[in-house]
Amino acid sequence: MRTYKFYGSRNTGAKYWYMQRISGIILVIVLIGHYVLMHATPDAGHTYRAVLERMHSPFWKGIDLTFVTLGLWHGLNGTWNVFRDYTLKPWLSNLIQILLILLGLTFWFIGLNTILKF
Amino acid sequence: MSNLTATSFFSRWLEVLFNYRKHTGSWAWILHRITGLGLTLYIMIHIIALTGLLKGETAFNEEMALFKSPIFLFGEWLLGALVMFHSLNGVRIALVDFGNGARFHKEILTFVYILGVLMVTGMAYLIFLH
Repeated sequence: MRTYKFYGSRNTGAKYWYMQRISGIILVIVLIGHYVLMHATPDAGHTYRAVLERMHSPFWKGIDLTFVTLGLWHGLNGTWNVFRDYTLKPWLSNLIQILLILLGLTFWFIGLNTILKF
Repeated sequence: MSNLTATSFFSRWLEVLFNYRKHTGSWAWILHRITGLGLTLYIMIHIIALTGLLKGETAFNEEMALFKSPIFLFGEWLLGALVMFHSLNGVRIALVDFGNGARFHKEILTFVYILGVLMVTGMAYLIFLH
């Protein structure tokens, strides 16, 4: 009986459910700051120089890294949650998971490359 | 099963989708899902767009000038609406899961819609008229 408890999976998904909520709450908090700075104040500076100046400070670097990491994780884990609602053959389920992880890693490295270059 | 084409599979899927009775929470769930997928696509586009920083000052400033054009401003507003719904409804989900929100989830959803429309209207003012 034990094996069938979570549709034959050893993973309850509870950890991911919890992390999805925690990352979401952090993203909302960071997003308020992002919106006030980048959208509500047009004078904040969207020029190359202004962006570079922000990029050089460890604080904004930290914010950007948080954004890229949590945003991608939250988004792709959410995408996986959409797929999980449908009955999938094990090979298809594994393939989708591998593709989502590769997609996440690719964009994470592109993001890190931009942030950490300066 | 072999004669089940992709089109008939899709129409069957739509039929099932539309025949379910939708309650308040169902609509919130559908909207949360659509906006979430849209935002996931957007964060990837955003990451690609900001690689323009690596191309130097003139290239980046030209890119930023493009984002000031009316069509991109409209897109920014649309994006703001997606973000607004997803974050307000996300707070509702956190309240339902971690707090006592299950008792008031419909009231919170009404609050989400009202606050959302107000904020998105405010955003239109900031983006188009400010």
